[in-house]
Amino acid sequence: MSENGAGSAIHFEAVTKRFGDAVAVDDLNLEIQRGEFFSLLGPSGCGKTTTLRMVGGFEQPSEGRIFLEGEPVETVPPYERNVNTVFQSYALFEHLSIEDNVAFGLKRRKVGKDEIRRRVAEALELVELHERGDARPRELSGGQKQRVALARALVNRPSVLLLDEPLGALDLKLRKQMQVELKGIQREVGITFLYVTHDQEEALAMSDRIAVMDAGVIKQCGTPEEIYEHPVGPFVAGFIGVSNLLPGVCENGSIRLADGSLCDAQVPADCAAGADVQLSVRPEKIAIDDEIEPGMVTVDGTVVERVYVGTSTQIIVELAPGMRLMALEQNWVRARSDDRWEIGNRVKLGWRPEHALVLR
Amino acid sequence: MNENRFASSFLVPGGLWLLALFVVPLIFLLAISFGHTDDLGEAIYGFELTNYERVFDADLIPVLLRSVGFALATVVICLLIGYPVAYYIAIYGGRWKNVLLALVVLPFFVNYLIRTYAWIAMLGDDGLVNGLFDSSIRFINTPYAVIGGLVYGFLAFMILPIFASLDNMDRSLIEAGKDLYGGPWQTFRHVTLPHSIQGVLAGSVLVFLPAVGDFVSASLLGGPEDVMVGNLIQQQFQASDNWPFGAALTVVMMAFLLIWMSLYLRSAAREARGEAV
Amino acid sequence: MSTEVAPSPGAPTGTARPARTKPPKDFDRPRFLKAFVGLFFLVLFVPIVLVILFSFNSSRSLQNFEGFSLRWYQEFFESESLRDSLIASVEIALITMVVATVLGTLLAYGLVRSRTRWSNAANVMMLVPLVTPEIVAGASALLLFTQIGLELSITTIILAHITFSISYVTVVVRARLASLGREVESAAMDLGATRWQTFRLVTLPALWPAVLAAGLLVFALSFDDFVLSFFTTGESPQPLPVRIWTQIRFGVRPTINAIGTFMLVISVLSIGLALLLPRLFGRKESGLKVLLGREAA
Repeated sequence: MSENGAGSAIHFEAVTKRFGDAVAVDDLNLEIQRGEFFSLLGPSGCGKTTTLRMVGGFEQPSEGRIFLEGEPVETVPPYERNVNTVFQSYALFEHLSIEDNVAFGLKRRKVGKDEIRRRVAEALELVELHERGDARPRELSGGQKQRVALARALVNRPSVLLLDEPLGALDLKLRKQMQVELKGIQREVGITFLYVTHDQEEALAMSDRIAVMDAGVIKQCGTPEEIYEHPVGPFVAGFIGVSNLLPGVCENGSIRLADGSLCDAQVPADCAAGADVQLSVRPEKIAIDDEIEPGMVTVDGTVVERVYVGTSTQIIVELAPGMRLMALEQNWVRARSDDRWEIGNRVKLGWRPEHALVLR
Repeated sequence: MNENRFASSFLVPGGLWLLALFVVPLIFLLAISFGHTDDLGEAIYGFELTNYERVFDADLIPVLLRSVGFALATVVICLLIGYPVAYYIAIYGGRWKNVLLALVVLPFFVNYLIRTYAWIAMLGDDGLVNGLFDSSIRFINTPYAVIGGLVYGFLAFMILPIFASLDNMDRSLIEAGKDLYGGPWQTFRHVTLPHSIQGVLAGSVLVFLPAVGDFVSASLLGGPEDVMVGNLIQQQFQASDNWPFGAALTVVMMAFLLIWMSLYLRSAAREARGEAV
Repeated sequence: MSTEVAPSPGAPTGTARPARTKPPKDFDRPRFLKAFVGLFFLVLFVPIVLVILFSFNSSRSLQNFEGFSLRWYQEFFESESLRDSLIASVEIALITMVVATVLGTLLAYGLVRSRTRWSNAANVMMLVPLVTPEIVAGASALLLFTQIGLELSITTIILAHITFSISYVTVVVRARLASLGREVESAAMDLGATRWQTFRLVTLPALWPAVLAAGLLVFALSFDDFVLSFFTTGESPQPLPVRIWTQIRFGVRPTINAIGTFMLVISVLSIGLALLLPRLFGRKESGLKVLLGREAA
């Protein structure tokens, strides 16, 4: 971490934001590197949008400072920051054509007419809308409007692009497609992206790094793999993917589960005997019956539910009342009609000790 | 410059205008109501209550009571006529709803004076009806004509709010009411009427307020015994040149109306909060 | 409930009956109500129709229609003083429209986008004229002008009209502004527009259907106004409604029919324009919805 974050794109120093008595963002310290695709991920109300708005200049921090490219920005209004935003509702100017929308920022900066024309054409090409330049926003579909909003922001070559849940209003297929496109554009253009979303799959798919937020605080910050494979607490584990949390207590380097079984796990050194913990295992790491390899931790349970989701079948197994695990069975070997595990079957589940996380 | 300060500056032009040309005149009005006229007829400021005493003089009480009475009668008649019309358009209008509403509103685009004049033309001593039937029935210059003129003038203000509140009502409530209450009247009393109360109140206020202060109807359609407070006020400011007294009359009238306005606003606020009216 | 179940007041309330598929006759064919409404419209329109009809009467009688003629319109337009009054009415309405629209729109923006003690006070001050009886408005305006020594004339009428039109503009524009939302303005600032540029380049263009509709509403109201004009008018020229008043007071003249019909056409045209113009300019929503504040562009 450099002094004042001089080498970083965005640096938050002890930033707090209050609205009356409510604390939206609580003592945030974060450094976002140049050229990163960085996501703020969390449920509604966790403070991610407020954080984004503070970078854009639409909110002022109650405490702390924000630095853009090493320079503090408290006194800098939004129209003077070298930052552009893609809004959730696109916020296109309905009375202007697409071209004029995209040219808006350049005109404010008094860029020459020829250069405006060139850069606007470039930006529209980038988002594959160069043929709709004369159209009005209301003639476009949601996905197209999204791309215009993107072009309108990127054409100004900001040092940071802020994106506030830009894909929220699109249907699933379009969203997946845009995720790939956005990632590609970011790589091509090389601008720092600060992306806000509540969709953890989206964040995992697109980001170089993710900060998981809850109630105004960053719970964990790291690469997608780090967040997914090594969640730091039950909240992060629960928010990303399916966590399969099992309550238990520490016992001599193992975990005693509520149903009595003893599991080997990577117990942290500072875990006192008798301390309450949650054991977390990702569904895809669980082996069922004959898939179990030697050295795995095993538990017994009853199949209570089977959910077919196309690519796989989710098998919900109850170890004891209130203790359930979800395992995944890839449907590449078995088709639906050939289900191996009926509801009511007794099965054995297993996982490698290093795949079980101990969370507090 | 932050948003609050930027936007607040927009309040200045309109705000200053209203302050200078609306608030200040009202203050003048209040001030001069405590004054008197001198021998030349000029209004002098003072601190006397004579004008207010005169307002409540035995001679003038009938005028005040008459104004309130006429206005109340107007409200009641507008309600009796307007409610069924609003009900019909809201419940049975169907695709003709907008057209019917437009037809209700259209006559009100004719100038109020002209509309009142039309009644003179029709019902006057030399008017159409008397001509048609070769009669000489006295329609005009009666209190009934004045009330009629007021009703005709303000009916739209009753119909529109009631229509709005009925139109907002979920139609399935009437269906449920039919099943539950057994008859059209019962359904109306227990389902429809409560839902339209706010519209009725709004319409009543919108009719009552201008009716109390009206002088056009009484002037054109009434006789010398049908003078309303509006006529009195108008005379003070134009014919009699007794502005302090006119001001006092105006202040009393405004105070009277403000009481009803605040009662209405309180009930509307209660309704907005979801409590019983 | 079918008509077999007699809807008498004595019928027990709260008795649940099974829903019947056949709709009850009373509710679906309200013959009495329909007749009442028909009668209502008849009575409502008869005076209007008479005014219009008799404006084309070739004789001055109000009792017999003796033939089609334009003489009353001729008399109207040939009378220099009536022509002056018409021009005065239009002039007053136009100037009122322009000034009230500007002041009202600025006020609306200030009320929606700011939240200070001043905004609350301004809001109240803006609402009171709407509920002030016209006679109070007229009397106080008259008082003001005489106290400051301003001679009564077209100018004083205009000043009074503007004062009481601002609120209508503010209410219409405010509803529209609130439905537009802040995000577009944030986007403009994000792209480098100052607050003032944002207002000029983004907010105003999005607002203008409402501004236009409000302006036309103000025009119609001002053109038609009587009481305010009556109190604040000078000797001459006097706006049309004041002339009508004088004419009625001093005897019934058929020219009034012509003037009234003409004014009706003007008023209907301006309101019609207010409702139609937004649609003509390519916006999807109707002018009525704009006036009532629903739906942004």
